[in-house]
Amino acid sequence: MKAEITITQLTKVFPTGLFRTKTAVDNLTLEIPKGEVIGLLGANGSGKSTTLKMLLGFLRPTKGEIRVCGVRSGTRASRALLGYLPENPRFQRFLTGKDILLYFGKLYGMDGKTLHTRTDELLEVVGLGKAGAERVQGYSKGMTQRLAIAQSILNRPRILVFDEPMSGLDPLGRIEIRELIGRLHTEMKETTIFFTTHILSDVESLCSFVALLKKGKLEVFCPIRELLDQDCEHYEVTTTELSAASRNQFLAGSAFENSPLGTTFSVKGTEALTEILEGIKKAGAKVVSLNSKRQGLEEALFSDRVQLSSLISKGATP
Amino acid sequence: MNTLRIAWIAVRELLHEKIFYILASFTAASLVFSLLLGQLTYAEQAKLTLDFMLGCTHLSMALFAVFMGISLFQKELTSGSISMTLSKPISRTTFLAGKCLGQIGMQTLLTFLMGALTIAISSRYGADIATKATIQTTALIACEVAVLTAMTYFFAVNTGSITTAILSLGLFALGHTRDLVGSNLRKPDELFIWNSIRSFIPDLEVFNMKQLASYGQSISWTEFGWATVYAAVCFCFYLVLAALCFERKDILT
Repeated sequence: MKAEITITQLTKVFPTGLFRTKTAVDNLTLEIPKGEVIGLLGANGSGKSTTLKMLLGFLRPTKGEIRVCGVRSGTRASRALLGYLPENPRFQRFLTGKDILLYFGKLYGMDGKTLHTRTDELLEVVGLGKAGAERVQGYSKGMTQRLAIAQSILNRPRILVFDEPMSGLDPLGRIEIRELIGRLHTEMKETTIFFTTHILSDVESLCSFVALLKKGKLEVFCPIRELLDQDCEHYEVTTTELSAASRNQFLAGSAFENSPLGTTFSVKGTEALTEILEGIKKAGAKVVSLNSKRQGLEEALFSDRVQLSSLISKGATP
Repeated sequence: MNTLRIAWIAVRELLHEKIFYILASFTAASLVFSLLLGQLTYAEQAKLTLDFMLGCTHLSMALFAVFMGISLFQKELTSGSISMTLSKPISRTTFLAGKCLGQIGMQTLLTFLMGALTIAISSRYGADIATKATIQTTALIACEVAVLTAMTYFFAVNTGSITTAILSLGLFALGHTRDLVGSNLRKPDELFIWNSIRSFIPDLEVFNMKQLASYGQSISWTEFGWATVYAAVCFCFYLVLAALCFERKDILT
């Protein structure tokens, strides 16, 4: 697989005092394949954004380097290949959505009729057709985010860099942006999408590869399927109208929880789940909800105590 | 070309800044105040009014240079909007130069507007007003303010908003009083320290001909030319220094 981004022994150390330092990214080595959607996961302070900022040249690596399609990151040539969506996009509030796209398009070296056609087309793609003529100061958070996505694909980049693209959005806004990113990936098959998040469901629905950072170090880098397969064994079942006798029969002394919704209990393994579902059906009870629990993975991601490498037996290739 | 694009956006940004209108109101108020002060004297009305009006132009534009510089540049850094522009294939120097150019363009226009207003108002006092001297004074104020803008950008790249304001205004004050400070020092070690510091402080008194103008005296065009060359050198020095620091700066937002 040809690497679109090559990160070699990347280290970033920030001074935090006169004689104190903090290592935000520690000896990170990673090769991002072409045309994939890569989720850079990690808790707050794990070094995700720092890595992206070094990729864009906002921060200088203390050690190591990043190459974008063979070009050293931080240079004008490398930035011409990238499209960037920051975590909290901010624009000149007095400009209209279209003005913003025209301004950034000109900075990309685009001009004339091509640029006008492209901006109109993009405003339609992100659902800001008419709103493109309005000033950005009247935009909602979701509209601003969509405009930011439009400016990131203005130059038809080879690599899209999204920093927490769903951050701060309401559930509907999150779904819209998620769908938009999914659509971009379908339409721009050659473009690599590299984004940071700490929300597993976003990664599950969008990514083909996942890189996990913990305290600045790469914990794992593998296809998302491998990661999820290891953690798909736990289910949470909620039933109603389950008699005490049937409950004792199914759960056999296991822990359960009664709530206004019904009785909730955990099941380990797909076979056990099938058995229990059949039993519930026979007992005449109803299944209110059935969720796959990713507790192990989430704990590993966001807790210092659980090591992800112990959770994943295969596919971990840091 | 990108520098000009950024400069044009900066000009439009200035026109949408609250602080721009606050400073513009301060300027208008100070010009009216100058007119009122001129009424206090019977014999020297023209001189006093002109002196005050030029003084107000000078002070207003100095404040404009510092506070608009902070607003235009530092606000982008702290709000994070800078990352949208710098992710495009342009150099940081282009961005810095564009912002600075936009601001200088706007403040030069304002300085000359105030100069024209000064000439128009003062001319009603009759023959005492020397138009050439007033134009020269206004042009030198514009030069000084451009130097102050470059200094502000240099500090804005390296420090926070408040420190930038303090250092820029401090350097502005020192630039006008550096000979006075030097003449009051007696001890050799104090003089040595002061002389080392003063070589980094531009002599802003070079641009000050308000007193001469109020007496209707102008300077030779050669002298005027050298003053503008000095301004260009100081401006380039601080802007290049700012650009060098900015190119190496870690942008955290």
